[in-house]
Amino acid sequence: MNDLFAPPGNSWRPVAPQLGTMRRLVLSASAVVGLVGIVVLHLILDLPTWLLVLAIAAVVTLAVLGWLVIGRNTRSWGYAERDEDLYIKHGATFRELIAVPYGRMQFVDITSGPLERAFGIASVRLHTASPGTSARIPGLPKEEAARLRDSLTSLGEAQAAGL
Amino acid sequence: MSSGTAQKPYRRLSPLTPVARSGIFVVAVLTATWRDLLRGDLGPFGAVLLGLLIAGLVYGGASWLRTKYWIESDELRVDTGVIARQSRRIRIDRLQGVDIVQPFVARLFGLAELRMDVAGGSAREGSLAFLSLSDARELKDVLLSRRDAVRADSAPLPDADSDAGTDWRWVEPDRLLARVDLQLLLLSTLLTPEAFALILAGLGSMLVPLLVGDASGITVSLPLVGGLALVVFRKIAGSYRFTVSQTPAGLQVRRGLFELSSQTISLNRVQGVVLSEPLLWRRLGWARLDVSIAGYAASSDGEGGPSASTVLPVGDRELAMRLAQHVLSGTVLDQTVLTRPPKQARWVSPIGRRFMGFGTNESLTVSRTGWFNRRTNVVPHARVQSLRVTQGPLQRRLGLADMHVDSPPGPVTVRAQDRLATEARAILEQEIAVSRQARMPAGL
Repeated sequence: MNDLFAPPGNSWRPVAPQLGTMRRLVLSASAVVGLVGIVVLHLILDLPTWLLVLAIAAVVTLAVLGWLVIGRNTRSWGYAERDEDLYIKHGATFRELIAVPYGRMQFVDITSGPLERAFGIASVRLHTASPGTSARIPGLPKEEAARLRDSLTSLGEAQAAGL
Repeated sequence: MSSGTAQKPYRRLSPLTPVARSGIFVVAVLTATWRDLLRGDLGPFGAVLLGLLIAGLVYGGASWLRTKYWIESDELRVDTGVIARQSRRIRIDRLQGVDIVQPFVARLFGLAELRMDVAGGSAREGSLAFLSLSDARELKDVLLSRRDAVRADSAPLPDADSDAGTDWRWVEPDRLLARVDLQLLLLSTLLTPEAFALILAGLGSMLVPLLVGDASGITVSLPLVGGLALVVFRKIAGSYRFTVSQTPAGLQVRRGLFELSSQTISLNRVQGVVLSEPLLWRRLGWARLDVSIAGYAASSDGEGGPSASTVLPVGDRELAMRLAQHVLSGTVLDQTVLTRPPKQARWVSPIGRRFMGFGTNESLTVSRTGWFNRRTNVVPHARVQSLRVTQGPLQRRLGLADMHVDSPPGPVTVRAQDRLATEARAILEQEIAVSRQARMPAGL
């Protein structure tokens, strides 16, 4: 069912590939920590070799799976600005498409943690009066995030309808 | 702070406030020490409690002395605090609603708490406790009429007219929309799962010891029975003498046996309604009506009684429908055609599918779910916040998707579950356009 998540206009704007790189870095780091932990445990407790091999295999498999999932998920993000509303879609396995009218926006915020800053990316989040509105776009290049926020804020003010 | 406060026309809370506040404590002290008191001396435990009580009364008295409220330039000002002084300003034009609540102890003293619902404020900030009931009513009327006057002022209206308008308003009597009589309340409470559980647990705890000849199980079953009884009793007490009437300020809901509450809902804050018809009530044609109100989300009291969102705890379906129509400003609910999800939805929700429905009319989106408790959720197009389509892996196999209508927090959730994927997206696009249209007049 491709048309369910078809873009409202020409095409979805993708998020920055740095988002995938960042997530994969975090994944690799945790995998390395896990492997080191297993080796240390082996040295201390003298675990049987088959258990050691099994544990290492499990960590490596999880890491590879995670690597692939991150790729799929990062590619799945997309957003489209229209005249009166913003569309966001994401998810590869569990998919979601959200449409937020600018007039309903209460506020927009940008967040960028230390790691995100190192990669030059930020997340933009839209809030409406409904907590169900989960309108977040992660991994936007910094300038694009600032532009989007400004554009959303001015459009929101122009079309504000409140509750 | 300033010594000039004496010139201000401030008012104080009821002088009985410290007594009412420590009322429960007095009972505790008496029950803990009555034996000692009868013997004429005060045990060490009693002495400590009595000391605490006196300290509490002194503090309460000081707090009462320090608490003043007055109205100044469209603000309600409240000064409080014995050690650290606080001064609150509540803008009258920002008031969403003013409710009068009478907790049981306060009611014994004829006192009431005034709760003001301020946009974006917490419940504590907007509370005055306690006033005498007549003072509370008077202040509520003053606040609401002031608010309307302030709001009317900002609209282009001649002053003389608005004055005449307020005068005339107070003459108009409240129109009673619905009343729940005790018989209906008791019968309908009897037909709830909680009541059934109570009867079963009660019978069980009586019969099992008789049959087995061993009463030790009582210690387990008695708290269970007691807990259930309390839940059922709270339901009844909370909805006792429930009335809904239309007043100039909005919809007024009055209820309560021990704790009286009177709540005013302005109709333009209603974000949606939900009609609940539990299985056991459906045969008898009974229904319950709740509303989502902007800014009231967190105030459901969660103790088994009706929450702040309940507009009708039980009543004829007809009546509930008429009330829903009134709350939604006259839109007809009955004419909406609800359609079921397609056949393949049975793989995702085998039982639920038959009871699901979704439909729209020119002003509403409506969805229905549930067999055991059938809920009909309604959100006007003009109140739609955002729209979502979601699809899980199984749904994708079957070519299905859910369409969610996001509305402000409350009991109402409109959702088109397990529709054909193409249909779900079509509904979303259509709803985006329709809700934009519906929003326009309000926005301008």
